Amino acid sequence: MIKEMVNHPEDIAERCQQAYEKAQASQDKLNAVITFVDPKEQLEKLPSQGLLRGVPIAIKDNVCTKGVRTTSGSKILSNYVPVYDATITKKLEEAGAVCIAKTSMDELAMGGTNLTSFIGPAHNPWDTDRITGGSSGGSAALVAAGIVPMAIGSDTGDSVRKPASFCGIVGVKPTYGRISRYGVIPYTSSLDHVGYFTRSVEDACVSLQVLAGRDDLDLTSSNRPVPDYSQALNESVEGKKIAILANVVESVSNPETKDMFNKLVEKLKQAGAIVEEYHFDDKLMKAILPTYFTIANCEAASNHSNLDGIRFGVREDGADMKEIMTNSRTKGFGPLIRRRFVIGSYGLFEENQERIFRKAQKVRRLIVNAMKDCFKEYDCIIAPASSNIAPLINDKNDGDKLSADYLVAENYMAMANFSGDPSMTVPMGFESGCPIGVNLTCNAWQEETMFTIAKAIEDITGYKDLQTEVK
Amino acid sequence: MVEKNKEYFQKLADQLMFHLSDEEAEELVKEFGTLEKQFSLMEEIDTDGVEEMIYPFEEPTTYIRKDVADHVITQDDAMANVTKKLEGHFVLPKVVK
Repeated sequence: MIKEMVNHPEDIAERCQQAYEKAQASQDKLNAVITFVDPKEQLEKLPSQGLLRGVPIAIKDNVCTKGVRTTSGSKILSNYVPVYDATITKKLEEAGAVCIAKTSMDELAMGGTNLTSFIGPAHNPWDTDRITGGSSGGSAALVAAGIVPMAIGSDTGDSVRKPASFCGIVGVKPTYGRISRYGVIPYTSSLDHVGYFTRSVEDACVSLQVLAGRDDLDLTSSNRPVPDYSQALNESVEGKKIAILANVVESVSNPETKDMFNKLVEKLKQAGAIVEEYHFDDKLMKAILPTYFTIANCEAASNHSNLDGIRFGVREDGADMKEIMTNSRTKGFGPLIRRRFVIGSYGLFEENQERIFRKAQKVRRLIVNAMKDCFKEYDCIIAPASSNIAPLINDKNDGDKLSADYLVAENYMAMANFSGDPSMTVPMGFESGCPIGVNLTCNAWQEETMFTIAKAIEDITGYKDLQTEVK
Repeated sequence: MVEKNKEYFQKLADQLMFHLSDEEAEELVKEFGTLEKQFSLMEEIDTDGVEEMIYPFEEPTTYIRKDVADHVITQDDAMANVTKKLEGHFVLPKVVK
């Protein structure tokens, strides 16, 4: 889709204007956008060439865009207008992309449902009674609705890959350090990745080509050279060794999903891949959720201490500085975020740090070591991206609520955030008219292998350029 | 051991500079029970001799840059998102009466 658009420069103005209008027209039903961005000014400054020249895109609202409001889905930042661009904003602009919307997201990216944005829930284009998944749900909705062919997200636990599954599109989280995070409002610095959505693996390759690369402004970004990702599309899956994450498949509650996955595995074998079951230590798999929850909330409580309403953000009145800050933070953060900060702070207390925070960091290493052991034998780890299609918006089992259930199948994808390994979701099939995806994770810096296998899956399913009209 | 009740979490929230309503604090008390069960899943794992993992990779990505100012923003830009300001300063209530 992207290459076709770039090859038709005569349509640029009309195409971008149409995407802008279509996004506005869908807002009543999807509520996917926080701020619309008029493409006119960008079109006047379009570079003469670029891999995304004249392609309308959307950007998650935690990515700083100079002069365009950037809220991170939170009321406390609902008046924040950055005075600088994130590095990826600049890269997209230099490649000729035209941003038409800043998209809805869970507040401060701290959720998996897209129900907690200060503008209210985003709706799934396949069934508007269902969630998009989060935290990058607004971006996922616009891509799935065919409004833009690419949108930026961010992924700390599975915030690109889960919405991609629920919305029937491609969602990529590359290796940690592959894409600069400078100018992206942080959640958990040791787990945060920039990611993105497309409707084909080919477009995923082009997008990473634009976004990847060293940035001196982000000292966690890698010095490794950026390969030509599109070459991966010409490679065969024959002989590739794929490990089925058996613990996840066993915990999938829906037999229809299991059946769909097993059929896909058979076809991958027919295509020449060597696909075998691989068991991780069950205790480690069950520890993924608490490990993630602990590290994420502890780091977030510290990262967001700068949101006080005084230097930037919405300021509430108070008799002194302390009262101003307390009132601003009480009214500016939603209840879920405040509870998460309390939990994070609790884990950082001196008397709890060893038992909770440091313990989680040690368990993280053991989980990553187990993944590295798997990658000594296999090129890729594969499993359904979730047990079921997107839940209903009014489902009482809200995915952001803490649960005593282990729910391995719903929470395992955070393991690729622990390790920093590249991971992506592609559509696998449909249940009750709604899509569900399959997730694949490869060893660090092996995006090319990941794209080769993803392309093979796309060829098997035929789910390329999957989109739905918003009804 | 301090009891993890509503008042405990409200006090903790105050230290983080926000309030929790009674309802929100009650919700947290309930969540905390679940959370302790989740923590026990980590406790079951033997981590003796295991080093904490802080970031995914050990390979060096930092560098020493020259001691020259760059990426400087103007005072106007720095103050652009301040709600209450006066002559380049943040305006706050007077504390010395």
